[in-house]
Amino acid sequence: MSAVPDSLGGRPDSHGGGLDRFVSAAPQPQRAGMRVLMALARRPRGAALLARAPLAQQAAHAILALGRYDEPSLARALGWDADAVAARGRELRRAEGRP
Amino acid sequence: MTEILDADVCVIGAGAGGAVVAAELAEGGARVVVLEQGPSHDADDFSARPPEMLARLYRDGGQTTTLGTPPILLPLGRGVGGTTLVNSGTCFRTPPRVLERWAGEFGLELDEATLAPCFERVERSLSVAEVTPELAGANAAVARRGAERLGWSHGYLRRNARGCVGSGVCVFGCPTSAKQHTGITYIPRATAAGARIVTGADVRELIVTAGEARGARARLAGGGTLEVRAPSVVVACGTIHTPLLLARNRLGAGSGQLGLNLALHPATAGFALMEETVNMARGVPQSFYVDEFADEGVMFEGVAGPPAYAAMSLPLTGERHARAMADYPRLAQFGLMVSDSSRGRVSSLAGRPVIRYSLGEQDVAKFRLGLARLHELFVAAGAREVYLPLPAGVEPRRARVRDLKLMAFHPLGTARADARAAHGVVDGDLALHDVSGVYVADGSVVPSALGVNPQLTIMALATRLAFRLLGRALPRHNDNEEIACPS
Repeated sequence: MSAVPDSLGGRPDSHGGGLDRFVSAAPQPQRAGMRVLMALARRPRGAALLARAPLAQQAAHAILALGRYDEPSLARALGWDADAVAARGRELRRAEGRP
Repeated sequence: MTEILDADVCVIGAGAGGAVVAAELAEGGARVVVLEQGPSHDADDFSARPPEMLARLYRDGGQTTTLGTPPILLPLGRGVGGTTLVNSGTCFRTPPRVLERWAGEFGLELDEATLAPCFERVERSLSVAEVTPELAGANAAVARRGAERLGWSHGYLRRNARGCVGSGVCVFGCPTSAKQHTGITYIPRATAAGARIVTGADVRELIVTAGEARGARARLAGGGTLEVRAPSVVVACGTIHTPLLLARNRLGAGSGQLGLNLALHPATAGFALMEETVNMARGVPQSFYVDEFADEGVMFEGVAGPPAYAAMSLPLTGERHARAMADYPRLAQFGLMVSDSSRGRVSSLAGRPVIRYSLGEQDVAKFRLGLARLHELFVAAGAREVYLPLPAGVEPRRARVRDLKLMAFHPLGTARADARAAHGVVDGDLALHDVSGVYVADGSVVPSALGVNPQLTIMALATRLAFRLLGRALPRHNDNEEIACPS
């Protein structure tokens, strides 16, 4: 259980800012809505508010989970090493002349 | 400042339809210019990290959403390759029962024999082959075990991949370039044959004079305007954006069908906690299908991904979510897709698409059936726990429309083909009914849900269109001959 975050309210994405880019790529009004949900989910009073709206709570949780589990150390603890997958792809493409 | 290019054919969009038309026309000797709104992607930038890749490779970061009940997430690819860049690579020919329906209901002369040479040519171009059990991975093995124990019809999927090593991130940009998307197959062929590909070209205007196509004008990302003068224009912007471009130019509206008839193949997925290690992202995520209930409109297909992807889609919250994710290596996932009879529509608000779609009761019933069967499949496979995408305490048979968490990947039908001008936007040859020289080659012409992944259907129809424009029959090939892609 050591790899599991106690809460998703901490740093959502400490490496590379992928979650920020993901949220920024969303069209309005989703972008604003996502930022509000994330802000609420990270605060105790906000989280309590979200608990009364299960759909909003699940949406907030999904966004934060996307960022949290993208963190390399956590992903590696679960058996997924994105850097290694990308590096293997690069090597294979160069070795075999793939595009 | 306006740059002007002359061509025989101007193709708008470099996805499943546009890239195919462009390559076949260019190789046939036509002067072709392709205008693609998005960028060209470099596989060196594919990081295998879901949030970053969603932002980079998808329109709106993959967060395009329908308005209706329930809201449905509709991720669309962006750039050279279009959605073929980010799909799972599954290849099905159009089911014969669908072609029969098209003949009867829409007057389309597209039987199996007519389309077979087109499918064969596309399949050779994309190296389509069945996934091996070894490459399919343990996630597929879970579904296979369940289906075998239940006696359900199943099989390994055919995919457009070459030299796949099972990186597990097809939908986040294939890092090995094994997936043969149109950006690395048809577009290089088009370029080698002399076609010009212009990226960052946002087409605003289709030039039509006295009822005849004359070309297209685009705003360029770097500034300025490009005008392509051509007597034939092929619109291939995809099911969501093609009707908007046509409507903006007051084209295709004669039948009143433009933007209507949107089918989506709405989909969802469940998870199971297994006894064995699955490591769902090792292997081909979509490698296996169960079609036992296809006649009832429900198709099961594999789906899987890295922890970030799984964490986002796992239908749990709080401590239960954390506990399940701690067991990520033992999580299995499988999806189901509904051949929908519900229909939506696409319109424009301030230049952006507004997609309206509400799931009808018939399709809700298909999801009830599908979710119940998915639970059964996982249990038969030996699942310790099953996590279905339903609110706590809601059983599949009691699910209401607002209980469903849906995504969709196959928008179709918004410029549907119909032999009769009063009923369709394009005719059986994919030409607009109300103007000469404008054609459509993307999912928007597909007049009904297919029940299977549509990329091969779109590509086969595009192949047929290209050879019709060239005025030639398709060349015959030896059975084992592949169509080479320039590197």
